[in-house]
Amino acid sequence: MLLEIKNLKVSVDGNTILHGLNLNVGKGETHVLMGPNGAGKSTLVNTIMGHPEYKVDEGSIIFDGKDITHLPANERAKAGLFLSFQNPEEVPGVTLENFMRTSRMAITGKPVKLFAYKKELKEKMAELNMNDGYAERYLNVGFSGGEKKKSEILQMLMLNPKLAILDETDSGLDVDAVKIVSQGINQYKNKDNSLLIITHSAKILESLKVDYVHVLVDGKIVKTGGSELVGEIGRNGFQKIAAAAV
Amino acid sequence: MDVALRNVNMLPVRTWNRLGINDTGLQEKFSDPAPYRGKALAGSLPEGVSLTKKPFPVSDAETGMGKDTADFVESHSNCGVSLCAAAGTKAEKPVVLNYEISEKNPTVIDCNEITAEEGSEITVVMGYRSEGDVPGFHGGLTKLYAGKGAVIHLMQIQLLGDGCTHFDNVGAFAEEGGKIDIVQAELGGKHAFSGVKTRLGGTKSQLNMNAIYLGDHQRSIDINYIAQHTGRKTSSNINVSGALLDESQKTFRGTIDFVRGAKQAVGHENEYNLLFSPKVRNRTAPLILCQEEDVDGQHAASTGRIDAARLFYLMSRGLSEAEAKKLIIEAQFHPVIDRIPDMELKKEVSDFVKGRLSQLESMG
Amino acid sequence: MEKKKTMVKDIDRTIYDIKDKVHPSYEVKEGLTPEIVEEISKTKNDPKWMHDFRLKSLEIYNNLKVPDWGPSLDGLNMNDIVTYIRPDTPMRGNWAQVPDDIKNTFERLGIPEAERKSLAGVGAQYDSEVVYHNVREEVRRQGVVYTDMESAIRDPQYGSMVRDHFMKLVPPTDHKFAALHGAVWSGGSFVYVPPHVKVEIPLQSYFRLNAPGAGQFEHTLIILGEGADLHFIEGCSAPKYNVANLHAGCVELYVAKNAHLRYSTIENWSKNMYNLNTKRALVEEGGNMEWVSGSFGSHVSYLYPMSILNGENSRMEFTGITFAGKGQNLDTGAKVVHAAPHTYSDISTKSISKDGGTCTYRSSVVILPQAYGCKSSVNCESLMLDDRSRSDTIPVMDIQNDDVDVGHEAKIGRISDDAIFYLMSRGMSEEDARAMIVTGFAEPIAKELPVEYAVEMNNLIKLEMEGAIG
Repeated sequence: MLLEIKNLKVSVDGNTILHGLNLNVGKGETHVLMGPNGAGKSTLVNTIMGHPEYKVDEGSIIFDGKDITHLPANERAKAGLFLSFQNPEEVPGVTLENFMRTSRMAITGKPVKLFAYKKELKEKMAELNMNDGYAERYLNVGFSGGEKKKSEILQMLMLNPKLAILDETDSGLDVDAVKIVSQGINQYKNKDNSLLIITHSAKILESLKVDYVHVLVDGKIVKTGGSELVGEIGRNGFQKIAAAAV
Repeated sequence: MDVALRNVNMLPVRTWNRLGINDTGLQEKFSDPAPYRGKALAGSLPEGVSLTKKPFPVSDAETGMGKDTADFVESHSNCGVSLCAAAGTKAEKPVVLNYEISEKNPTVIDCNEITAEEGSEITVVMGYRSEGDVPGFHGGLTKLYAGKGAVIHLMQIQLLGDGCTHFDNVGAFAEEGGKIDIVQAELGGKHAFSGVKTRLGGTKSQLNMNAIYLGDHQRSIDINYIAQHTGRKTSSNINVSGALLDESQKTFRGTIDFVRGAKQAVGHENEYNLLFSPKVRNRTAPLILCQEEDVDGQHAASTGRIDAARLFYLMSRGLSEAEAKKLIIEAQFHPVIDRIPDMELKKEVSDFVKGRLSQLESMG
Repeated sequence: MEKKKTMVKDIDRTIYDIKDKVHPSYEVKEGLTPEIVEEISKTKNDPKWMHDFRLKSLEIYNNLKVPDWGPSLDGLNMNDIVTYIRPDTPMRGNWAQVPDDIKNTFERLGIPEAERKSLAGVGAQYDSEVVYHNVREEVRRQGVVYTDMESAIRDPQYGSMVRDHFMKLVPPTDHKFAALHGAVWSGGSFVYVPPHVKVEIPLQSYFRLNAPGAGQFEHTLIILGEGADLHFIEGCSAPKYNVANLHAGCVELYVAKNAHLRYSTIENWSKNMYNLNTKRALVEEGGNMEWVSGSFGSHVSYLYPMSILNGENSRMEFTGITFAGKGQNLDTGAKVVHAAPHTYSDISTKSISKDGGTCTYRSSVVILPQAYGCKSSVNCESLMLDDRSRSDTIPVMDIQNDDVDVGHEAKIGRISDDAIFYLMSRGMSEEDARAMIVTGFAEPIAKELPVEYAVEMNNLIKLEMEGAIG
């Protein structure tokens, strides 16, 4: 089991958002997390990544055999976790290229061979239909919504994590961008790494082989099923599932 | 009598003396103050609001124009009110005070204290006018105290003629959750001074200030606003906008002061100045003083002529240049004028502004 | 929810102790006497006009008051200064007395052994004399004059040009320390670039450090002919250590019609210094003046490079960063006067305060009545790294006609938690994340500097962030 979340209770500013959540993600699997707004999806993924504002009141998070529940975010990144943010931060003065190189060195602990790295970066950017010039732009500064999401996927491809969590990566993207991002995700995915995708729309899932779909309502996972659940939710919404869970 | 006030509208932190902006002085000769003839209070006081003899909850209250000015008013006042809104009262109508400078009241020195007890809300509107261009003097001191969760709306509308010198000195204090909301319109007078210092001591207390000014002929306007954050999660929002015509001049000092301990405080200040003649003078000192890291302080100021693109847009819809300029200035003032709760006063202010701007026709 | 702060290692530093009598307040008349000034003049072989000029400046100095705004100058010990600038001074630097943190910094910044001594004012000029000499040869071929101030005054060809310009832009009457400078100035550079000559390599003043007084009261005079182009770099990022603690230098820049001058400074005086420097540029029609400034050192700084836009269509751009750490009170900014139509100014500054340091941004933008059609933009951003420090922004604008477009923006805040989390989620430690964000914050200045300086500046920032520099 790559990721084991047991009985996770999380609060923000004194308000409990997750009420004892359980989730397991195995190696090579693709999981999808859906749920109404305010259910706690972003809270869950930010907690997994270790955002300091989210307080774990109870429960644990075990990643690749290691208890990461109280580790700082960078230790989790080194362990092989990656989060593609819904609203990536802008960091003025730091170029995309410099940032990713530093990040890779921090995670692998090894110096980066500049020439090979730049070549790899250029190739991956081309695959994501990203103009060369982006590498020299300041991280996310002035990027459109779509460009920000692509920048996140680019980082994912360059860092090659064990588990990639995508928080609404498809929101705000036009049809072409969704296609490209899907391609990027497919490129990343192999039999050894795993995906946890938060999404509202089915579009991005079309080209993926989805193993499990979880429905999160009111801070708990109320139903788990296969990919057919996506279609069901698309047709009937969350109400029925939520009601059945009570 | 004569008055010479010093250290008026002082900058909290001094800068180069050559710039002449560290502070200013006020020298005036005026008729000895006699008790104000006439009734300043329009109508009656709303329920829950009463005249009080209780001492103001804050001793040694600091004001925007400074101690010299505050002392002057306290020792020479000839009118003014001390109001108290009882705890929990939400006054159903504003308290309106009208002062008119005329031959029978050439000098108006009003000393006011407004206390809003816990959970109350009160609106006080003060209007100052004069009979044509009769020479006169107005000096006011107003202290505001918003108790826990209380709200004070203060509007000071100055529509004096060219013969008057005027000043408004305000010191405000807000307790936990208290809110101070001030509107100032400096639209007349030969020399106008205004200083407001607000101490946001209570957690989550707020200050909202909206000021408009209009300078023409040889008018001078001198302003000093200070938002002092000492409490946590306090917020201040100061907006000043106005126009200068002819040979008028304006000095604006705006300070956001984050004192150590004011964690998560937010202070925003915005200034927008339209200039209409080559002989005007606009001085601005937007200060941010900060001793606390966990804050958000921002200041933006812009000065110049009317945006050419905007002017063109209006003219492309048929307005003459003068009409377009009038429209833009009125539009600038509108959000503030709109907040005046008293319909008559609102109209009076709009007309006053329109009257002043009619001279723009001749400017073409 | 407790917000974690970077644990900055607090290295205990012993600041150099001036063992002589410590005076609680700055003394006005004592110490600097006409006799001492006469001595200085004689030792330097001043021409008569300079001798008289020094004495007149001393008179002015005695009659001016210390500024009543800005950081306190109470720690300024005038007697030591006086003792130090005497030509026969017994006060000389000694390598053993140079504080350890300075020595360590030299090590960290990779400054070669010999240069360290010269930077600490305790050694002769090794190598740098040679390098300097070679630079001079190169530019001489272009007709550029680059020499030390003392020689320039006496130069048969350029002496009168120097006399016509010396302390005319910054007269001794300007303020007390300008007057002091006029009386005791020593060392510095004179540069003259003939019309239409573009100097390809940046000239660096780094090479000029020599004996007592110099480096502290140096006078830089740069005159660009019509259409000339020069980049001049002053200072270096290694801490400049000095025995006496006052730097009252003066820089006068004349940018003729259509000429272009870029003046870059990285200032890292040791942390006992009072840095009261006056820099001023006069820009003529179509001229372009660029200032790039990094202030990291000194105990107290008063530094406001000023530009006078005297000719139509002239312009000025100022980019600066100030980083105040423990025990520092750095009061810096810029001044500009628009004295002609269609002029343009842009001031963009960043400041960082940490560990109880105080950063003050102070500026003035004056647009005179005859300067119609002008545009000015001021942008200052301040970063607070903890709640022990202080950051004040005191900008003033004085606009005296309506045909202007003036914008001003100021922001203050801390490093956002979200930004730190984002960088940490990509593997960086919290410390590294902060350093990266601060370096990014300083980027606009770094990219204006020649690469070696930019790298040095970034290293300096990294060291500051680690709390390793005193």
